[in-house]
Amino acid sequence: MEVKAEEIVRAEGLCKSFPLSAKLRRIEHTSKTRQIAVDGLDFSAYRGEIYGLLGPNGAGKTTTLRMLSTLIRPDAGDAFVCGHSVVREPGRVRDKIGFMTGELKLESFFTPDYLFDFFGAMHGVEKAVLARRKRELFSRFGIDRFAGVKVKNLSTGMTQKVSLVVSIVHDPDVVIFDEPTNGLDVLTAKVVTDFLAELRAMGKSVILSTHIFSLVEKLCDRVGIIIDGRMIADAPLGEFTREKSLETAFFDLYHAVKGEEL
Amino acid sequence: MKLGALIRKEFFRFFHDPRLIVTMLLPGLLIFILYSVLGSIVSSDGEEDATYSFRAYLSGESQTVAAVEAAIAAGGSTVEWLPADDLEAAKREVKEGNVAALVVFSDGFDAAERPSVEIYYDLQNDESAAFAMLAGAVLQEIGARFTVERVSVRADAELGAQIMSQILPLLMAVLVFSACMSVTLEAVAGEKERGTLSTILVTSVRRSHIALAKVVALSCIASIGAASSFLGVALSMPRLMNVSMDVFGEYSAASYLLLFPLIVSTVPLIVSLISIVSAYSRSLKEASAYTSVLMIVVMVVSLVSGFISVGDWVTAIPLLNAVAVMQTILTGALPVWQALVSVGVNLLFTALAVWIISAMLSSERIMFGK
Repeated sequence: MEVKAEEIVRAEGLCKSFPLSAKLRRIEHTSKTRQIAVDGLDFSAYRGEIYGLLGPNGAGKTTTLRMLSTLIRPDAGDAFVCGHSVVREPGRVRDKIGFMTGELKLESFFTPDYLFDFFGAMHGVEKAVLARRKRELFSRFGIDRFAGVKVKNLSTGMTQKVSLVVSIVHDPDVVIFDEPTNGLDVLTAKVVTDFLAELRAMGKSVILSTHIFSLVEKLCDRVGIIIDGRMIADAPLGEFTREKSLETAFFDLYHAVKGEEL
Repeated sequence: MKLGALIRKEFFRFFHDPRLIVTMLLPGLLIFILYSVLGSIVSSDGEEDATYSFRAYLSGESQTVAAVEAAIAAGGSTVEWLPADDLEAAKREVKEGNVAALVVFSDGFDAAERPSVEIYYDLQNDESAAFAMLAGAVLQEIGARFTVERVSVRADAELGAQIMSQILPLLMAVLVFSACMSVTLEAVAGEKERGTLSTILVTSVRRSHIALAKVVALSCIASIGAASSFLGVALSMPRLMNVSMDVFGEYSAASYLLLFPLIVSTVPLIVSLISIVSAYSRSLKEASAYTSVLMIVVMVVSLVSGFISVGDWVTAIPLLNAVAVMQTILTGALPVWQALVSVGVNLLFTALAVWIISAMLSSERIMFGK
């Protein structure tokens, strides 16, 4: 008998639109005053799995992750993280997630050491636990040697590593990464992808957005393909790659939705 | 714990950056040097060439009176002499501005071996000061054998207090605003623009704690800057206005006890107002532009207070109440309940502003709108 995995994240009919500026209306030759970014998205992610949201730029991946992390509210629908609604219990959701995206920055004046302690305090992590996690994570990512160096003096890769460890300072159940390897050199990108696999092994749930097929094939257990804010396909990776590559499967779906337009 | 960590972060950011500390303390030192230098230049200048119809008390007799009359007439002014029977009453009238001056010739002035003439005047009254300068200059020119002394009818400290009461409250508002602006814009609009505020918003800390921590920490930091500027102004003001430093001794301990909370209560109010503007703005540049407009409003409010008397209604208006009550205190009065109500009103409005800031931090349109 198949054991059903524990559902950690569930999105139900998530919708989000943004105002369309007059300039964009002229460019797009439309009279619509709002642009739909996410249109009735449903999906589930399970404990101990990496879920990949795959789609082109502007598909609605980042907007979806921002709704899951409670930075923005859905216009309609809801999402549940560890059973807590992002609409009604945003504070509880934030306790359960670690969110890393390019738009969230660290104050460059501070050192990794200070930032880790500060964000630990923001999440209410006990001092002893915080000290242990700092030792482990700083050592794991090679930050320990740079713990006292201000972020503004660190390399891009090291800054990205610091952002990563700071986002998971409170040992969250769900880790949400928006384009986790964007702008990283191959070495740092490998450190990050290896760590995501480690998180899965530790029983964490990871939701990431990307447009890199190889990253999805390497890491993800389940894939959701988003085009124009809609979930076109949502299935275990194996179902996409059984007969063809993920890239081919994606473009077949893309052409089916958008015609020959690229 | 979270609130404490947020407050400590703001302090750490400020006190570990020598550049921020220097930019905060430097204005006070510069103001002191600038105003002191300006004071020495101003005191050696300032001839008056307006025409007046002087009325002056005269005590004693001398032929030199005709020379004074002639000199005054040559300048286009006239003088009407009044007999001074009671010198003290005459001095009071000079002080009240009813007459320009009191001129007292010593007994047997024209025949005496070492006679003297005293001109009692009010430096604060332009007409009186012009008369004393003119009459004094004429008498000094024609009389090598007698002494001429110009005596102010006001004690130096009393004069200083009046000048202080007119200028210090306005300067206080401007200096406090400048100090608050320099720290708040960077800590709110700067953090929003750089995306570091969003990183805090994605943690489970309450928005109200973020708002409160900002206002508390930035108010403490701004108070240091404001105190530095205020000291610079207060210490250089007597030199600038050519009055004695004794002016500070004129005020009682109770005056200072009332002034302190009054000034302090304006700091969190201004910090929270600038925080609202900063949170609303999309960039540091936009916030600076809006804050300049806010500063003009504060200056107008402070100027207005110079033309109104402190009534019950003034205490209900934040900031204006502090400036108006401060003016009253600096004239020597002790408006205790107005001061206490003003402090209460300012703190109440600060609490309201903190609530608005936390609502803004929760607003997706304000925090993440393009």
